[in-house]
Amino acid sequence: MKKILAGAIALALGAGAHGFAQSLEDLNIQIHGYATQGFLYTTDNNILTTHSSDGSPAWTEAVLNIGAQPIPKLRIAVQGRFFVLGNFGNSITLDWAAADYKADDRFGVRFGKVKTPSGLFNDIQDIDPSYIWSLLPQSIYPISSRNSILAHYGGVAYGTLSEGGKLGKLEYRGWGGERQIGGGDGYLLEQTEEGVLAPNGIGGATYGAALHWRTPLSGLMIGASDGRDPMWSSKLTTGNGALTGNEFLAPFNEPNYFALYEKNKVMVAAEYGRLPVSVTLQFNGLPPSYERIDYRNWYAMASYKLTSKLTAGVYDSQQVDHQAPLGPARYSKDWTFSGRYDFSQYLYAKAEEHIIDGTAIGYDTDLNPNGLKPNTKLTILKVGVSF
Amino acid sequence: MKKSILSSVFLFAASILAVDAGAQVIVIANASVKATGVSKDDLKDVFTGNATTLKDGSKVVPVLLKDGPANEEFLKAYVGKGDTAYRAGWRSLVFSGQASMPKSLDDDAAAVAFVAHTPGTIGYIDKASPHEGVKVLDVH
Repeated sequence: MKKILAGAIALALGAGAHGFAQSLEDLNIQIHGYATQGFLYTTDNNILTTHSSDGSPAWTEAVLNIGAQPIPKLRIAVQGRFFVLGNFGNSITLDWAAADYKADDRFGVRFGKVKTPSGLFNDIQDIDPSYIWSLLPQSIYPISSRNSILAHYGGVAYGTLSEGGKLGKLEYRGWGGERQIGGGDGYLLEQTEEGVLAPNGIGGATYGAALHWRTPLSGLMIGASDGRDPMWSSKLTTGNGALTGNEFLAPFNEPNYFALYEKNKVMVAAEYGRLPVSVTLQFNGLPPSYERIDYRNWYAMASYKLTSKLTAGVYDSQQVDHQAPLGPARYSKDWTFSGRYDFSQYLYAKAEEHIIDGTAIGYDTDLNPNGLKPNTKLTILKVGVSF
Repeated sequence: MKKSILSSVFLFAASILAVDAGAQVIVIANASVKATGVSKDDLKDVFTGNATTLKDGSKVVPVLLKDGPANEEFLKAYVGKGDTAYRAGWRSLVFSGQASMPKSLDDDAAAVAFVAHTPGTIGYIDKASPHEGVKVLDVH
């Protein structure tokens, strides 16, 4: 799949070379970016691998996007990101790099490293300037695993099946390729802290499709997506390399069902998703061990634009692992109250309060050595600039 | 007394209708655009990046004003969003790789000049601004 990325970059370079013969204006080269700085404080427990109970500013993101449109139907763009949140990230990564050919509204295709258009917000979940929340509902959009589930190497086909009228519009997206969950990803945090390392991460093929029905009721969209991940595998080591082995994830589906109503000052949305995964750890010379997780996730959210600059919102986000033993580690229930103030179209600030019951999301053991308390209040302040 | 109350109600209703209809803004297009009119739904889809073609098959490229009363009124009347929320929507498309940001022009004169010389473009200006060289689309 890296060949595909190399191809996309080659295309970009080709377009760049071609650009010497044209004016920059003709190429429609654009440069955009944004940067955010967050501050976290929790009443109990340290969250998201930060020292949040002492107050932590360890959440910084900066994004640079460069794009060109050499001909009307073809766009080429690349986006890089610096991301640090506690012990996550602290590096510059490639968000995506893609060439996009849109024949018309009915069919377009992009390929390279591309955003995966699953669920309601997956392809924009890392774009902080585009929504009111400091943290999207963590039950479906966990920030600790954001970089892994956001994009894949491969392609996306997209378009509109029906052109409106009495039945509304039906939009489709289909994707396929390869996804790699990095070794430092949140999905692997628990086993990493237990000393079981997957230095190259885990990954494999992925494909799926999504339908968005823009209903005749103005502002209402209803949709569904399903991603299929065939067998994934990775190399494992433990005991400082004394034992080696493999980790296997049995084939699984990731269905999501969602609805969004957005009109004038009001936004209401809800989403349900399921993530059932069977994991096998097989160390050489030892019997295999099995684990099964079955996350049922949902959220419901609403926001209202109080003034042209001030927006307020609330959501309830819940996750339950139906395979986990009873207790606070089985679930997470997060009531969130949020506000955003736009000083201008370039500068904004956010404030958010989370009332979290349960410990299923966002905690690690290294920074909570004395165990976790079942309830936590998390306060987030954030400032952002975008251009 | 009754008459003055009635006329006040009438004036109030008329002022609301005037704002809702976006009466102070006109939609302009390059002469190459085949359409003579555009529906409000098409206009919203084109200016939010959800479509690049009008119902009659005309392929169009939206052009924005950077700011100002005509910009605010157009977005309120035909997109249903304020400027900040509107541009945040476009940024979502740009940063997720789904679109390029439309060109934003400084004022009505610049918008008219750009639309007049750029095939396929569609924009909006204050009704009172000169608009020679472009066609005015009827919004229905």
